Amino acid sequence: MIYDVRHLTTVRYAGLVRLARFNLRLKPAPWPGQILHDYRLSVDPRPTSVQDETGPFIVNRSRLTIRAPISRLSVESRFRVEVTAAPLPDPDTAPTIDQVRHRALTRNDLSASGPATYLYASPIAAPSSEIAGWALPFFTPERNVIAAGRALMEALHAEFRYDGNATQIDTPPVEAFHHRRGVCQDFAHIMIIAARAHGIPAAYVSGYLRTLPPPGQEKLVGADATHAWVNLWCGDEHGWIGFDPTNAMIAGTDHIFTAMGRDYSDVAPLDGVFHGGAGQEMEVSVDVEPVG
Amino acid sequence: MRVSPALQPANRLRDYPADGDAGDLFRGATPSVAAKWSAMADGLFALSEDAGLPAQDLIARQILDLGMSFRLTGDTEERPWPLTPMPLLIGAAEWAGIERGLIQRACLLEELAADIYGPQRMIAEGHLPAAVVAGSRYFARRMVGLEPRGNHYLHVYAVDLARGPGGQWRVLNDRLRLANGIGYALENRLAMARGTISLLSGINTRRLAHFFSDLREGIARDCQRENPRIALLTPGRFNQSYPEQAHLARYLGLPLVEGRDLTVSDDRLYVRTIAGPKRVDAVWRWIDTNALDPLAFDAHSAIGVPDLFDAWACGGLEMANWPGVEVLEAPAFAAFLPRLCRALLGEEPLLPNVATWWCGQPAEAGSVRARLNDLVVTPAFGQPVEALPGTKPVAAASLTPEERDALLTAMERRPMDYCGQEIVHLSTTPALLDDRFVPRAFTLRAFVARDRNGDWTVMPGGFARLSASAELSTTLMGEGDLSADVCVVDDAPRSQLAVTALGGVPAIRRGGGILASHAADNLYWFGRYCERAEMTTRIVRSILGSSIEVDAAAGYNPDIYARLVRLLHLWGAISEETAGLDASHACQAALAEAHLPGGVTCLLDRMRDVGLTLRDRFASDFWRVATRPMPPLPSSKPGIALRAARELVERFSALAGLIAEDVVRGPVWRFLDMGRRIERALLLCRIARQLGAAQDEAGAMGVLLDLCDSQITYRARYLAAPLRDPVLDLLLLDPDNPRSLAFQIRAINNHIDALPRLGEGQMPEQPEREARALLAPLLSLTIAEIDDALLQDMETRLLSLSEAITTRFFLQYEKSASGDRSHLLA
Repeated sequence: MIYDVRHLTTVRYAGLVRLARFNLRLKPAPWPGQILHDYRLSVDPRPTSVQDETGPFIVNRSRLTIRAPISRLSVESRFRVEVTAAPLPDPDTAPTIDQVRHRALTRNDLSASGPATYLYASPIAAPSSEIAGWALPFFTPERNVIAAGRALMEALHAEFRYDGNATQIDTPPVEAFHHRRGVCQDFAHIMIIAARAHGIPAAYVSGYLRTLPPPGQEKLVGADATHAWVNLWCGDEHGWIGFDPTNAMIAGTDHIFTAMGRDYSDVAPLDGVFHGGAGQEMEVSVDVEPVG
Repeated sequence: MRVSPALQPANRLRDYPADGDAGDLFRGATPSVAAKWSAMADGLFALSEDAGLPAQDLIARQILDLGMSFRLTGDTEERPWPLTPMPLLIGAAEWAGIERGLIQRACLLEELAADIYGPQRMIAEGHLPAAVVAGSRYFARRMVGLEPRGNHYLHVYAVDLARGPGGQWRVLNDRLRLANGIGYALENRLAMARGTISLLSGINTRRLAHFFSDLREGIARDCQRENPRIALLTPGRFNQSYPEQAHLARYLGLPLVEGRDLTVSDDRLYVRTIAGPKRVDAVWRWIDTNALDPLAFDAHSAIGVPDLFDAWACGGLEMANWPGVEVLEAPAFAAFLPRLCRALLGEEPLLPNVATWWCGQPAEAGSVRARLNDLVVTPAFGQPVEALPGTKPVAAASLTPEERDALLTAMERRPMDYCGQEIVHLSTTPALLDDRFVPRAFTLRAFVARDRNGDWTVMPGGFARLSASAELSTTLMGEGDLSADVCVVDDAPRSQLAVTALGGVPAIRRGGGILASHAADNLYWFGRYCERAEMTTRIVRSILGSSIEVDAAAGYNPDIYARLVRLLHLWGAISEETAGLDASHACQAALAEAHLPGGVTCLLDRMRDVGLTLRDRFASDFWRVATRPMPPLPSSKPGIALRAARELVERFSALAGLIAEDVVRGPVWRFLDMGRRIERALLLCRIARQLGAAQDEAGAMGVLLDLCDSQITYRARYLAAPLRDPVLDLLLLDPDNPRSLAFQIRAINNHIDALPRLGEGQMPEQPEREARALLAPLLSLTIAEIDDALLQDMETRLLSLSEAITTRFFLQYEKSASGDRSHLLA
């Protein structure tokens, strides 16, 4: 599939922001099966400085400084992307939970795509014995990891209600877990906590979904904004496989990868230090259009 | 001179009830070191007899004098430091072994940090699992591939040691993030040296001073500039070890800075000072890597400096220690260090660490399960884990069967979160408790730093923690409740070269060094609060009848009472309702008021609060007087409030005296004094306006003289009763009366003239212009021309001057209170 993606963020401040120093993590990082064309980032007002870098996870970061006083900030990220999906491996050939757990601990790989990086608690995905207990039935040692991941994803989809008003951006995942409600970000964090509790490396993926469904199919949930799902590490051979608990599907050609980190905080589309400003209002619009 | 104490019949350690086999430090000492133990013990008792006080009290007094204190997490008040008077004595030979081992370990940790943040050869070759590095929340992935300019990842390293019953030393913990305790080791030694006079030098105790100058020069050598500015970066006064940080900064002469004092520009770090931004070459950080830069690490950090990362990454800033090195503190590393020592240094470890098994490896996990009851289990990365109550090691044998099962199940699911460790038995040391020597288990924190050549040097001494009870004799004793000094003793005195002789004579300097804008802000407000509290107290004293006029209290006209009470209400010492009560209740309320901005209790609290941030600038005498609590006010009887008011006035006079006599005439003094002067001038205008309009002229002018402490001067000058014009001339226009308005304004002018200007040109800045304009009428008018309108105008202009000072000197940085620091999320 080829998509044209346009992601527009507009922030209005109640007071003047005299100095803004912030990070944007909007440009898709390289990912297997994905080819990026014509990336364009426009920021208004024009920043004093922009520096682009990659890492430290699978993420591109632009660091911006705006020194003039501003009351409004708008950021537009546009690109064309080609997505092909590798055929899903035969679940029966996938390693067991026990094997993955063992291999994640022994693999000599400290890189941003290695499993060790995604094995432990991270700033938002703090361990929770409740979530661990809830996920216990899915992670029996002899079960194959893809089947376990799918079962966990489906359970999340079945037991939790998608509700944009139930949580805020900084609601701890365990709270969303208690209410059995939330948005893609909450579901992804809960699934990450559950998998890590059983020793399976799990990563947070930010990205996009195609906005309009193919004819005759239902529109996917989370398509009007940035989306989030989970990568589980399924052993040396299969590597990372994307599980989308919001839509109960394996990530394929409907999913456009932007970045992968331990949780939301590693890949937040926008964060930084804004001096002044007081209150703010933000609008986000995302348009993902298939072009072929 | 005393004969050899070992031969004295009064050998206080003779009946010391320690079991030789348990590995007591004294019982196991060589004869020459044992003689020093006895000399020390007898010396302490002799001192205590001479003074008629227990040895404990002698030391406690020094601790109080030094202002040594600490806070536990959750404490709002600082506590006095629990130092026991008997130090630990370690002979030169035993210490030499420890030194060699620590230096080897520092080298190992340096090499390991360089490998983890560099080629990662140890991981590739299988000496260190990637999952051990990734498990620590202190692993700073962003630091991979960055090399420090001087090629030193570590500059200062603290380590906890245990001494086993057989006398063998082992490493319990490595501390690379914070050298906590380094300041307490210094303070312990200062208190001991002061409290025991020549006892320490009498037994040839090695001095600590060289270590601290080495540490400083070791950081300086890696900086770009010749005379680098090294700042100590503190998380702020709410941090548990803030008193320690402030003390170290003062002792080493380093500016104590918070994140908000700093700014990065063109990849260089600057501290905002009253003289504009000044470059900082190196930072001794007391902040976690994660909090150092909200743009590079934790975006929520409010104590870091945006873009600080760029300053060190581009080589413009030396960091001690290099960000990310604290990854090595994780207990799981201990399991791999012996092997890494062979792989990286090609040597066997000289000093073993506590035997540790990381359960992320199946074989190790198996043996931990098999021997569980002989071991302690600890979270592998110092973070809470599912099946353990906290982050401290737990003896598996102490678990209930259910807890044990839960632990084993959790270890199945996430084995990498757990380490098994041997239980270390500790040897004891004689502790002087309640005038008796009793054996107490101890651990020792030692400190290692790079010197001016970049070589490692070990502090000859350290900081010991003693178990609070005789029963606890393993590492499970926790951190201990008591501390003791650690003395390394030589057979013969070592030549003690002066610090300056080793480091070269420093360039002669005058003045107080740089003054950070926010410190100046705090000094200014300290001065203002102090003066305001004093004037409230003086009014209270005056109302309650403490003037030199014997019958003054009885003679006050009700109109004057009402005016004084109104003054209290005007500057927020009492509420409107209280102002309606009778005078003695209003006075009592003004002293006790803890919330309104003019209440004495509130002002004392604010002084203490602001003063905390100035700890590194105030002498301990000053600090002690400034933070003394409010005198108790058990009832609202006028006599009690009067006594409290008198005590407070004396206290304020003592502070004024200390400021006048003990503070060098640099910017610190100028801001303190300027705050006082502005506040005094403001209050004077208000009081003069209130009392100038009173019906009973003689009475009101008498009170005015009393409030301004100018009774004596007036009487020496005039025989008449207090009359409006002569009194107001003395209090408003007389430039020689230190309580007059003219005197305050002139002093403010002098201060502003002496403070640095920002621009190159000689154009006067705003505060200077405003201060001059204030002085002009006072120089040119006669008292007959001064009316209420003019005084009101003076008040307005004084407030405007204060604003101008704030804008010029304090607000060079973007105020970003936590409330308006947005965290934007899409």
